[in-house]
Amino acid sequence: MALIMEQMPIVLRSLNVGFLQTLKLFIVTLIGALPLGLVISFGSMSKVSPLRWLTRFVIWVVRGTPLMIQLLIIYYFPGLVLKKPIWGGGEAGRFLAASVSFILNYACYFAEIYRGGIQSISKGQTEAGLVLGMTRGQIFFRVTLLQMIKRIVPPISNEIITLVKDTSLARIIALQEIIWAGQAFLKGSQGISGAIWPLFFTAVYYLLFSGLLTIILGGLERKLDYFK
Amino acid sequence: MAILEVNNLAKSFGNTKVLKDISFSLEKGNVLSVLGSSGSGKTTLLRCLNFLETADHGTIRVRDELLFDADDARTTREREIRRKRLHFGLVFQSFNLFPQYTALQNVMLPCQLLAKEEENYKVRKKQMFAEIAANAHDLLKTMGLAEREGYYPHQLSGGQQQRVAIARALAMKPDILCFDEPTSALDPELTGEVLRVIRDLKGGDRTMIIVTHEMAFARNISDRIIFMHDGYIEETGTPEQVFDHPRSERAKAFFSKSLEEI
Amino acid sequence: MKRILSVLIALVLVLSMTAFAEASDMAYVQEKGVLVVGITDFEPMDYKDENGEWIGFDADVAVAFAESLGVAVEFVEIDWDNKVLELDSQAIDCVWNGMTLTAEVTEAMECSVAYCNNAQIVIVPADKADEYSTIESLAGLNFAVEAGSAGEAEAEANGFAYTPVKAQADALMEVAAGTSDAAIIDSLMAAAMVGEGTGYEALTYTVPLNSEEYGVGFRKGSDLAAALNDFFAAAYADGSMAVWAETYGITAALIPQA
Repeated sequence: MALIMEQMPIVLRSLNVGFLQTLKLFIVTLIGALPLGLVISFGSMSKVSPLRWLTRFVIWVVRGTPLMIQLLIIYYFPGLVLKKPIWGGGEAGRFLAASVSFILNYACYFAEIYRGGIQSISKGQTEAGLVLGMTRGQIFFRVTLLQMIKRIVPPISNEIITLVKDTSLARIIALQEIIWAGQAFLKGSQGISGAIWPLFFTAVYYLLFSGLLTIILGGLERKLDYFK
Repeated sequence: MAILEVNNLAKSFGNTKVLKDISFSLEKGNVLSVLGSSGSGKTTLLRCLNFLETADHGTIRVRDELLFDADDARTTREREIRRKRLHFGLVFQSFNLFPQYTALQNVMLPCQLLAKEEENYKVRKKQMFAEIAANAHDLLKTMGLAEREGYYPHQLSGGQQQRVAIARALAMKPDILCFDEPTSALDPELTGEVLRVIRDLKGGDRTMIIVTHEMAFARNISDRIIFMHDGYIEETGTPEQVFDHPRSERAKAFFSKSLEEI
Repeated sequence: MKRILSVLIALVLVLSMTAFAEASDMAYVQEKGVLVVGITDFEPMDYKDENGEWIGFDADVAVAFAESLGVAVEFVEIDWDNKVLELDSQAIDCVWNGMTLTAEVTEAMECSVAYCNNAQIVIVPADKADEYSTIESLAGLNFAVEAGSAGEAEAEANGFAYTPVKAQADALMEVAAGTSDAAIIDSLMAAAMVGEGTGYEALTYTVPLNSEEYGVGFRKGSDLAAALNDFFAAAYADGSMAVWAETYGITAALIPQA
């Protein structure tokens, strides 16, 4: 126990750096994937059938393969096959490649949730708007959007909590997020070697962060509880 | 003078011809009830009048203005159709209130959005909105819902929701107000309050088209009846003519059956 | 995971056969002006000092080598499983991290001459060390070894029952936790991590199973390997290799100049 207390400051500093990387990836993914998902969902409902089939094909591929493989392909493929290592070997390049993979992956999941949300709004809402002289844009923004948001908040919350933990997959391309930081002390880092507890201690970070998110998302859900 | 004139209207869904050749006209201030069994095309007729469906053939005129001619592409463009819809109001079978707005907001929202298109909107916004609000209050009061203005749709009974929907349609001041089976989704004990409200609307200049299965109600309120069968107008006339002396065999069978039900 | 990776690598190797012969790897590195060195955190070869700078025997030599090429050096921590992938995809330019020159490594990479001795050594709980002082006494134990490591090859060769784990450190954890009876890891690492004053005080090392050598790996066909050999020769000659080795306490393991 005394040893752990001694190691604590070094370990926490290192875990904080790793968690910052986790947090960065989490935020960048959300900022990119939430709007991209809407674009993809419109594509998958498009009346232009080639666009619709192409979008659905992409969704199928992205949802049908492990995120881990997508990370490996997106990061290594350009250098291996095209001889153009576009990402570079440094930390910034790895982060960028991880962000692209995560945004694409999560956008496809979000797109399907959006599509479900949009299609679950009864046609009567749109028709009522039309009969009352509203434009399509007014109907979307003033009538259906909020109803859709209400319906997708619970499934999106689920995905967001999953995303917090999925960020750890990025260490397959050596992005040094928090689990990587925790694992480093197993082997030996900064004079601490064979320490198992930092790895397990990363769970505390995940728990606290997902707890915070649960509170925020639950609040949003309650805020939309005023109508049915 | 006829306020509404419909000529040779036809509509198909795939290979199914739902409306075959519908022509009729309606005088200002009159109430027209459209009767017929399910699948006879009544609802499709209303939806064509409100441009929720685009008819394949025929013309629609309101106050002598040609609103729609299936053969004239200039009259079928989505952008212009939006303004033309405002000649008609439609009350749905399933109410279709906007759940995230209160009863009052439901009545005001479409008017407020329309006010934005007025030329001097920015200058007169305050005054316009005050007028819209006052009008909405009055309408809800007429509907017996003065106490329920601030309620959300899910907090209201079906009958109350339908009365809000009627107020919302009236707020747009349509030339012709249409009802698509307005009581079919209601429990029997709630139909009375909605029918009473519709009956009170009759009078003055108000023109209405009502698709309904309530035979006694239709007979009482209507100036004219249309009986539809299989996409055609099978029989038309005053309530006395159609109910008491139907000429076609199908109308006879239909009305004797519905009388038995009563 | 491994299988998918190897299929991916095989696919990529076939595709890349054609493209590699074109330009000199040294020219490529000099043009971009930086030598990207793939490492793991591995005391005393590559590790961070208090300021977060990478030091260690390998790190210091790598810095000097990059200097001789006239380029900057960038250390990048990689996943050891993916080292060939990292090299071939040009994410890194070399693997310089106390890498054992196994047959797999020399086949997949263009390697330098060996510069350091190492052994695969057996780790057991200190209180049982007496029972396991010969190779024969080890039969019947359950070993933990790093997947794809030289240790795994030794376990295989000696016919031991073993569980592959993700890293050498995980293998140590297995023994400490009692989930495996023994582990096989690098002797250089064992010296730093096992025994008194380390995180694994209750463990000790006993029998060395083989002896092996460390080298630096470049992309297959790279002319940088020859350049490093020349650099090594010069560094042995002027005595700087010996100085580096002494700094990090590996003088005994340093291979004398051939």
